[in-house]
Amino acid sequence: MSNRQPTINPIPHWSEKHGWRRLGAVTGFIALSFIFAPILWLVVMSVSEDPLSGFPGPFTLTYYGQLLEQTGWVDPLLNSVAIALGVAVVSMIASTLIGRAIPRIRRGQFTLTGVMLLPMMIPGVVIGTALFLYFRVGLDMKLGLWSLFLGHLIWAFPFSFLSVLIVALRFDVRLLDAAADLGSGPLERFWRVELPQLKDGIISGGLFAFLLSFNEIARSIYLRGKTETLPIYLWQQAASHSSHVPLIYPLNVLILIVSSALVALAFWVLFGRTKT
Amino acid sequence: MTNTSQDRILEVKTLWHYYGNTPALRGIDLEARRGEFVTLLGPSGSGKSTLLRILAGLELPTDVNVMTLDGQDVSNIPANRRNVSTVFQHYGLFPHLNVRENVEYGLRARKVPAADRRERALKMLEQVQLSDFAERPIARLSGGQKQRVAIARSLVLEPVILLLDEPLGALDEKLRIDMQVELLELQRRLEMTFIYVTHSQEEALTMSDRILLMNDGDIVQTGTPEDMFDRPNSRFSASFMGVENLFDAKVVAVSDAGLTVEVNGASIEGVWTGASLPSVGETICCGFRSERVQIADDSTTSMNSLEGKLTSHIYKGKYLDLTYQTALGPIRMRSWQSHAAPTETARIAWHKDQTILCPKS
Repeated sequence: MSNRQPTINPIPHWSEKHGWRRLGAVTGFIALSFIFAPILWLVVMSVSEDPLSGFPGPFTLTYYGQLLEQTGWVDPLLNSVAIALGVAVVSMIASTLIGRAIPRIRRGQFTLTGVMLLPMMIPGVVIGTALFLYFRVGLDMKLGLWSLFLGHLIWAFPFSFLSVLIVALRFDVRLLDAAADLGSGPLERFWRVELPQLKDGIISGGLFAFLLSFNEIARSIYLRGKTETLPIYLWQQAASHSSHVPLIYPLNVLILIVSSALVALAFWVLFGRTKT
Repeated sequence: MTNTSQDRILEVKTLWHYYGNTPALRGIDLEARRGEFVTLLGPSGSGKSTLLRILAGLELPTDVNVMTLDGQDVSNIPANRRNVSTVFQHYGLFPHLNVRENVEYGLRARKVPAADRRERALKMLEQVQLSDFAERPIARLSGGQKQRVAIARSLVLEPVILLLDEPLGALDEKLRIDMQVELLELQRRLEMTFIYVTHSQEEALTMSDRILLMNDGDIVQTGTPEDMFDRPNSRFSASFMGVENLFDAKVVAVSDAGLTVEVNGASIEGVWTGASLPSVGETICCGFRSERVQIADDSTTSMNSLEGKLTSHIYKGKYLDLTYQTALGPIRMRSWQSHAAPTETARIAWHKDQTILCPKS
């Protein structure tokens, strides 16, 4: 009796009903709208006559034109770009040096990687405050471009490190034996065998570092002194009731376009291309 | 200079190599002549691959008295400044370069102009029948094709010696046998010295001019394939070269013609393969190949023979593996009449001059 076939109930259990899939699709769509609607709204408003009214249209490119006349945003932009470029370059070099060392060390690989990645998990305000106290009180440093650069570097480095580590762990070090055997000295082995295979990770790591620095605000508040970066400038303008507010819309749209392009590029370099 | 010393392309004397405190190679002496096919044969961990890496220059020896390549001292020269090239078991092809670029790599490292190296690479690819694959990415090659690219990439540099580290290990059996023949033809055609590492005695016997058998960081026997096959000089050599019937034996009589030993009460005569003759009463090793054992038709004095009783037979396709229980102990015999019913009790025999007597260690 114990081996009796289970009886088949023709009525589906509630968890088997078809409606669940539709519910999933609907909630998913709602979630996506919450994410993208404000951004879309921003884009629409940037080409509307009165962005502050909250109603789209009539459409105009006036405010894009005004960006050329009211140039208060240029210096913050240049600061941001300079810092982000510096952070990107230094992150790429440091990530390459450390990233390719990790697979080669015998003990403590895991611990060292963990320590390198830890700043990702420390809240921005904590790092910001800690660095503020350290630079200002500890080192008696004048806050400005340098402190911003260092703060951003601490924030961005783990991401670019991770990006390089992925490709470094995949690299077959036996290829370096083959290169040596074929007549390459240490430098040539690095340039012609190792670097070409780490390249994707290094480039995407640099792009991530650039963007993280460029968009950074939480740490910058503490570390900027009197220097303005673009995100800080935008935030200040948005918070004030100045006549410059409509300019924020086109400026944000431009940043959005450039940032998305960079992120897309980073992902394409790292994951998108078919490996041959 | 004498002709022999010009012929000697590689000379190594008392090479020691350590990993930490563990010796990996213990005082190796090694020589190779121009155009010779030398095989380093041995079980894994015997040090053969380490020796090859040292010859390549990928590792520098802890201590060596003499290490010359084509007359030049190379004991402190790293791989990139030695005119030898290695074919690795893992191929070591560069995945970011295509077939032609891989073959050109070494020429580029030697600053050969682009047009010239392209021409030489394509010519070499022709030699290994890969002309149609020149622009193909490495990932889209089969194992056998990768192997050929690796060989072409080394040969295009015209090295003094080509080192091959178990190059056929990753290939399936059919392809491996084809590649053995192909490699051998290539070596004969180029008249290049090959030093070949393998753990397969069959591969070593097929291809080599000379085999160096290694065990535990030392070369334990050197000889032609025939020497190694018929006259192993130690129990290890005998067992590694596939001698199935091995027994402890006590020396009873020593004469110019041969040795008489006693194995479990049975008297056996054979040929001494060790260095200095043993003394009477010494315990040595007695061995003979299963394929040399036969059913005695007429008992001649040139054979050892014993009564045996069949205890097992295993069908292997081409042959039968039979085991007979004898006074000596169980004896393996290979019968090529694989479809004939084996005789249950028989007098089995094997030639005295095919009976190997050698030191126990």
